[in-house]
Amino acid sequence: MSAETPSEKLARKIIERLIREGLITERAGAKMLPKLADGTLQAEDWRLPLELGNTKARKR
Amino acid sequence: MSVAALKQLSIQYLRGAVAPFSLTFEKAKKLTVVYGENAAGKSTICDALEFLGKGQVGSLENRGLGKTGRYWPSSGKKLSDVSVTLQTADGAVCKAMVLKGGDVVVQPPELRPRVEVLRKRQILALIEATPANRYEAIKRFIDVSGVEDSEAHLRTLIVKDLKSGRDQAVARIDENAKTIRDFWESAGKPKPDPFSWAESECKRDLTAVALEVAALTALQTAYTRLLEYPQLLKSKSDSLDAARKSNTAAEGQASTAAHSIAKDASEIVSVLEAARVYLKKVPSPAGCPVCESSEKVAKLSERIEERLGGFSALRTARAAMEAAAKALQQAESQFESCCENASRNLAEFEKRLAHSDLPDDLSKPSKIPSDISYLPSWLTSIAHVPPEWKKAENDRSEKKTFTETLRKALETWRTNTQAQKEIDALLPRLEKALEIAEEERRQFTDGILAGIAGEVGRLYEIVHPGEGLNKISLQLDSGKRASLDLGTIFGGQNTSPQAYFSDSHLDTLGLCIFVALSSLDGPENTTLVLDDVLASVDEPHVERVIEMLYSEAAKFRHTVITTHYRPWKEKYRWGWLKNGQCQFVELTKWTTQAGLTLIRSVPDVDRLRQLLAESSPDPQLVCAKAGVILEAALDFLTLQYGCQVARKLGGDYTLGDLLPAIDKGLRTALRVDVLATTGTGGKSYNTISLKPMLDELARIAQVRNVVGCHFNELSFALLDSDGLAFGQQVLKLIEALADEDAGWPRQGKSGEYWATAGETRKLYPYKKPT
Repeated sequence: MSAETPSEKLARKIIERLIREGLITERAGAKMLPKLADGTLQAEDWRLPLELGNTKARKR
Repeated sequence: MSVAALKQLSIQYLRGAVAPFSLTFEKAKKLTVVYGENAAGKSTICDALEFLGKGQVGSLENRGLGKTGRYWPSSGKKLSDVSVTLQTADGAVCKAMVLKGGDVVVQPPELRPRVEVLRKRQILALIEATPANRYEAIKRFIDVSGVEDSEAHLRTLIVKDLKSGRDQAVARIDENAKTIRDFWESAGKPKPDPFSWAESECKRDLTAVALEVAALTALQTAYTRLLEYPQLLKSKSDSLDAARKSNTAAEGQASTAAHSIAKDASEIVSVLEAARVYLKKVPSPAGCPVCESSEKVAKLSERIEERLGGFSALRTARAAMEAAAKALQQAESQFESCCENASRNLAEFEKRLAHSDLPDDLSKPSKIPSDISYLPSWLTSIAHVPPEWKKAENDRSEKKTFTETLRKALETWRTNTQAQKEIDALLPRLEKALEIAEEERRQFTDGILAGIAGEVGRLYEIVHPGEGLNKISLQLDSGKRASLDLGTIFGGQNTSPQAYFSDSHLDTLGLCIFVALSSLDGPENTTLVLDDVLASVDEPHVERVIEMLYSEAAKFRHTVITTHYRPWKEKYRWGWLKNGQCQFVELTKWTTQAGLTLIRSVPDVDRLRQLLAESSPDPQLVCAKAGVILEAALDFLTLQYGCQVARKLGGDYTLGDLLPAIDKGLRTALRVDVLATTGTGGKSYNTISLKPMLDELARIAQVRNVVGCHFNELSFALLDSDGLAFGQQVLKLIEALADEDAGWPRQGKSGEYWATAGETRKLYPYKKPT
């Protein structure tokens, strides 16, 4: 029996894609994953990692 | 949860199990078919598995019984007597029982098996359910509400926070840009542009201006103070003059009054007044305080008052003179004080006028008066100058305010421009993230639904091959949350299967949906229980449903199917089905004493083998069993090759009808390739010709009638070995022709031979030789 709920499976896919697209870092993705799955990823939780990702992208 | 194979299910006093009942599962067989007539206790086995796995007895649900717990025990038993025990191949045992409160408990809880049960009356549940209930049924596979909630927070951030924040920033930018432009225009549009000009303006140091403003303000304050003095000095001077005059007049009046009374009147009044003061302190003196005489001392006080009354005019004049003198003194003091203040303020003004922070070009008055008496005329002479100071102050204050406003506008413009830039940089990333989340969610749920629908379609195609009804779709209703539509393509149009499918087709669809859903969620851990579901399937499709269930059972931990469909039993009996994975058991009639009673249904070939293997085989039983097996084999061959057999009402053909129907040409051509596994795991076939067997059987077939069917004196002349030889010959034929696990060679896909499942047997020829 798989322990992952559909939300957890989907959250993993979304985070992987966000990392792949260069929108967030892997570290940020790991932090976001559980909150994304259980519905507690608030506006600021989205904004910060995407801003940080943005900063890194600008630096590059 | 244990994933080991099931070994034994034991039921005590649950429903029909009035006596302890056990069902032992055959090793390495993942499908158990429980056959029994109605009321044999099949549902009790299903109830027991559901009781163990789900803590409920579903067969009693939705029958208007309310809480069903009291109906769980067998008649005469209590809830606490009920128990179901499952033993698995690894030796683990779990037991379900009912606690005092009615809750079902499984010990140990981690061994509670996962069980999915489908009953005949539930088969249409998912099809006939409302879209919301249908969603509920498969929610566990597609419920991504957690992600949806997080996604909603991101959407709010984009739409309500950032886009609205950006709009506000843009509005502020426009507003501040206009302010800067207005200032720039009023400044004469200096080059190169409004913002460069504003930048340089804002860099100006306003400290000097502020100091000038402060010095000008202080100068004007000092000047304003001086303006009070002309009036004040005049007022004080007038008061002094008036006091002087009043004093002179009072002195004259007092002198006149004194002269009119006596020369020493004034001194006498003084003595009398002093005596009055004395008598107030000493009301009853022993003698006169002046002459010490005690004569007339008693009325001394009245006499003093009487005499003073006579001097009242003088006294009034003297009091007026004293008051006038005092007023004069006061007026003189005030005038002097006023002059001092005026001088001090004039000095302060002079100091302010000489302050270095004052603008160099400021108009200043000529020489400051050294005598305060010239102040009024001097102030009048310079009255035109202070308005220039006010104007100079206003000019500088306006400049300060202008620069400060410009600076603030520029700062706000800069801040909002930066904010807009940051939002413009962030917003596309957030929008991209939202797009990804939405896309992944749609793909995820669509993928799962398509997977379920595809699996349903695949199973449905097995049951209804070539009918074109396998295009099943499951779609979430985008307009409603948690709503699932079931669709199909019928007559080239997308529609609901409920609208066009027959009841039987809907039943098989319901079964396929149930099996597909059960196989999605860890089937290797799931025991699938199908309680009499074949009763809903119409005859032409039953065999394919059985085939489908046989193949799907391999995915599950175990599958238990109960049925009262007799042909299944018969097909099993004759080895027509691929029985490799299947354990077939039969329940006999249920009784109030014994409850459920199990017999193992043995295929007739096995039974014949057993009869022949006995130490003293019974020729009559062997011939009887071998006879029907031979009839089955000949029936198969004659049908397969379209042999000519005289038609009979009822179709009960005998060996005498069937054996000759296999003519010489066919008999010669008939051969079977039997699969043999080599030592290296490879495959090879051993070819067996059926002709010698059929020839021999044709020769001795009469034994069957003589020994196996009827009482016949002819049998007296036959040896037991004749009957047994018949049985052995039939066994030889059937073992060559049919595979115990894979059934009979009925598949003709190759076009060259007839094969069993897995091609364990290949029967040649494909067609009867002409």
